[in-house]
Amino acid sequence: MIARWPATAALLLAAAPVMAADLTPTGSPSAPGYTPIGRDEQGLWAEADEQERELKASKLIVRDPGVNAYLRRVLCRTVGDGHCRAVRLYLVRAPIFNADMGPTGVLRLYTGLLLRVRDEAELAAILGHEFTHFENRHSLADMRRRRSATNWGAWLTVASIAASAPRNYTPDFLVSYYSYSRDQEREADLGGLHRMSGAGYRPLAASNVWMHLREEKDAQARGLGVRSLKDRDYGPFVSHPMDVERMTYLAREGQALTTPATSFDGLDDYRRQLAPIWPMLIDDQIKLNDFGASEYVLANLARGDWTGPLLYARAELYRARGLIDQLTAEALYRQAIVRDDAPVATWRGLGLVLLRNGRADEGRAMLRDYLRRAPDAVDRAALQAMADGM
Amino acid sequence: MWGLRDMSSIRWAVLCAAALAAVPALAQEKAATKPGFAFPTDHAIRILVFRPEVRAGSQSAGGATTPNAEWTRNARTNIMTALTAARPGGAAEVAFIPDAEGDAAAVLADYRALFGAVANTVLQHRLFKGDRLPTKKTGFEYSLGPGVAKLAETAGGGDYALFVTTNDQYGSTGRKLLQLAAALATTAAGGIGPTVTSGQHSGYAGLIDLKTGDLIWMNADARMGGDVRDADGAARRVTQLLEDFPVQASVAAAAPKP
Repeated sequence: MIARWPATAALLLAAAPVMAADLTPTGSPSAPGYTPIGRDEQGLWAEADEQERELKASKLIVRDPGVNAYLRRVLCRTVGDGHCRAVRLYLVRAPIFNADMGPTGVLRLYTGLLLRVRDEAELAAILGHEFTHFENRHSLADMRRRRSATNWGAWLTVASIAASAPRNYTPDFLVSYYSYSRDQEREADLGGLHRMSGAGYRPLAASNVWMHLREEKDAQARGLGVRSLKDRDYGPFVSHPMDVERMTYLAREGQALTTPATSFDGLDDYRRQLAPIWPMLIDDQIKLNDFGASEYVLANLARGDWTGPLLYARAELYRARGLIDQLTAEALYRQAIVRDDAPVATWRGLGLVLLRNGRADEGRAMLRDYLRRAPDAVDRAALQAMADGM
Repeated sequence: MWGLRDMSSIRWAVLCAAALAAVPALAQEKAATKPGFAFPTDHAIRILVFRPEVRAGSQSAGGATTPNAEWTRNARTNIMTALTAARPGGAAEVAFIPDAEGDAAAVLADYRALFGAVANTVLQHRLFKGDRLPTKKTGFEYSLGPGVAKLAETAGGGDYALFVTTNDQYGSTGRKLLQLAAALATTAAGGIGPTVTSGQHSGYAGLIDLKTGDLIWMNADARMGGDVRDADGAARRVTQLLEDFPVQASVAAAAPKP
């Protein structure tokens, strides 16, 4: 058995120099005019550029100029004007809580996230997290780590066969790879926290995001009548730390960073700036057919202060569920419509719900009113027909 | 891409697949053509070609892939040159769809994505055995819909659109050594052990009728030849990609359009 070892060992030695030797990039990748250094980084960048060509033209990108300008302002305030220029921020229409960052500075922010951060400070924590991935070259480190983990796993597996003690070592190395990935996430969380608090945002906002996400999972489970998954441990093959851990370390570090100079929330600005895409965000969320979570998300955004847009959103949620909720929806639309900040779509919703609730004349008048207020409505033809009593 | 949250079950599966990479692709090469299809013979045809989707990189010992910028760049250029020279089906003219801006770019992106989705179902459920749908064993009925006419307008007119995708991961020296070591160890262990293959070279191509949107022809190969990093290899690759491509019967007045 031992006799087979020399041949394998010789092969291992022969392979060692081949696997090494690529340049280690230095300097900030967000510096103006930075170009990738070394084979690995150049390869990653080329691949990412190709993906960005597709992304740029995608129908899923939300192109509202005001919203995009606002997101960029928050990013630049958080990471600094010199660095934010290298980042291309794409708002992607998908009702999920997530964001990601590619090696070249392509930041994708999913619209569902905008309903799950309540103010500018919470958004800044997310943008700071993603920027830290970029600035610290996490994609490159991740690719190298994954490559070395699978190389070691494969070689040891073959060596174990040669030594007549066969065992698949790849999972062992993947465990270490995922552990490394979670460390990168912790680094990005804390990097983001320091960036946002350095910009004057309230540091404890970062922890809040994860607390609310856990509460949303509870609310979702209650709505579905199942057990909450908020603290489900998915084992060693998970790329990110658990929400409860992130909530905790961000609160600990966030408290330490709290000073009178770090108190900015930007609540009003955040709400005002999202107004142009608000009905779309709400519509996409409601279509998830996840009543418990949706109701939690809205209440969490309201913080007890039910603005016109939030009342409208809650009315839409109840209207979509049907049955007796139509009356709740009507009451909520009526609360929204008397406010100055009621979205135009409130007239549409109230009109539709009144038709269902047997108040046809008032409903038709409301729809006509809506069409006057929203001449470019996409469903104009259908609504006009309803308003005409067809 | 580096996400804010875990989406790792897929990555885990991909990693496992890459780590083992010992399972050879089910089938090799397959092509299908829409029954009864023939190019028109009353005019010379013009084929619009989408920017080829080209990936080229290296495969490490453990099977992880590393994209290579230079190889990818060269491969794309070589494949584009070879496609033009090949004049698929005897086309009078082969034109690459230029990069677009604004609405035109959105139309191109839409159809590229739609073709990708259709091609995936053809690859999974029609061309290869294993997961073939009962109603798709014969015939070849797939379409992107007549809206493709917009596509032709966007790109300055054309009769057909050709899509080409290649993926080449060249086995590194480490991978080849592992292959050798695995073979030696497996033989010594009485034939029990993994089979390690080196390199992945796959590709497919599809042709769309720009009037009806119908998928006319598709060819896929999980183990392709031809080193796309050099011009001769890319020409060989393109020949393989265009195998069984329908040929236009002689055109009455086959003079190329001015």
